[in-house]
Amino acid sequence: MSQIQTYGAWEEPGAAPALSHQWMALDAGQLVAHWRRCSLSADFWARYAALFVPSPAPPGRLARQELEHVLSYLLNELFENCAKFSGGSIGAVRFAAWFRPDSLDFAFTNHIAPESQPAFARFIEELLDGDPEELYFRRLEESAETGAKGSGLGYLTMIKDYGIRFGFRFEPVADDSVAVTVQAHVHLEENQG
Amino acid sequence: MTIEQIQGDEYAIEYDRAAHAVRLSGTVRLQTSDDYAPITALLQRAHDEAAGGPLSLDFRRLQFLNSSGISTVSRFVINARKQDQVALTVLGNRDIYWQQKSLGNLQKLWPKVQIEIV
Repeated sequence: MSQIQTYGAWEEPGAAPALSHQWMALDAGQLVAHWRRCSLSADFWARYAALFVPSPAPPGRLARQELEHVLSYLLNELFENCAKFSGGSIGAVRFAAWFRPDSLDFAFTNHIAPESQPAFARFIEELLDGDPEELYFRRLEESAETGAKGSGLGYLTMIKDYGIRFGFRFEPVADDSVAVTVQAHVHLEENQG
Repeated sequence: MTIEQIQGDEYAIEYDRAAHAVRLSGTVRLQTSDDYAPITALLQRAHDEAAGGPLSLDFRRLQFLNSSGISTVSRFVINARKQDQVALTVLGNRDIYWQQKSLGNLQKLWPKVQIEIV
């Protein structure tokens, strides 16, 4: 088994103090079988987290309703990814959230088959190294040309339109299973982009 | 006047033939591109029937669209650009944050698209 590998804005979960911490355990197969649970979970946690910010928001901060919208989009994409891209012998999905004074940090862990790791790692490197604006439009043009699904569009929207930063971690946990954790860091300042 | 509708659990998509308008409402977060196929087909039909004139896509009552849905709409806009047969207007809602942030991307795909966020 290979070593733990991290990419992008990976932060050790306990490194910075959090005002509060929540988590939830799910199952990838159940999310696929009952697809609207992705949307339902996203909406629940988006509303739950958005109550954390005062209303009206202090100057320069995202308003509660805007934050709720951003989070609902973000969390739904990440729940959907856990459903779509799980494989190998372990189906466990774990959602975790840390609320900090200036940011909301989320982590989604799911499991993939080891042979899926290299392609996912290449995708992550392209996502983190490229120009998100250029990559977003190139992916869409390619997808219109070839009928492909335009993969990565969810991440690119979140990076480009909402300024969300991502970290990734691969950890082999069994001969036929690698735990993948995606971290999303949402800053509470208004993104002028 | 004929109105053709796709009704989902949490969304509706309505093609108003007389108004040359497709209106989306609710939350559209479907699972696969097969699930999006009926929407793609409806958009394409609306496009073909509007050829030579205006067509509007009305998102004002659309709360959420996942990235697969954004991809579906974006591919439709790219195909419309390639055919260059309709004057496409996209209507958005300023109170729905993702529309403020992301609807402008459609105009970058095809600069002739009119975006009206009201």
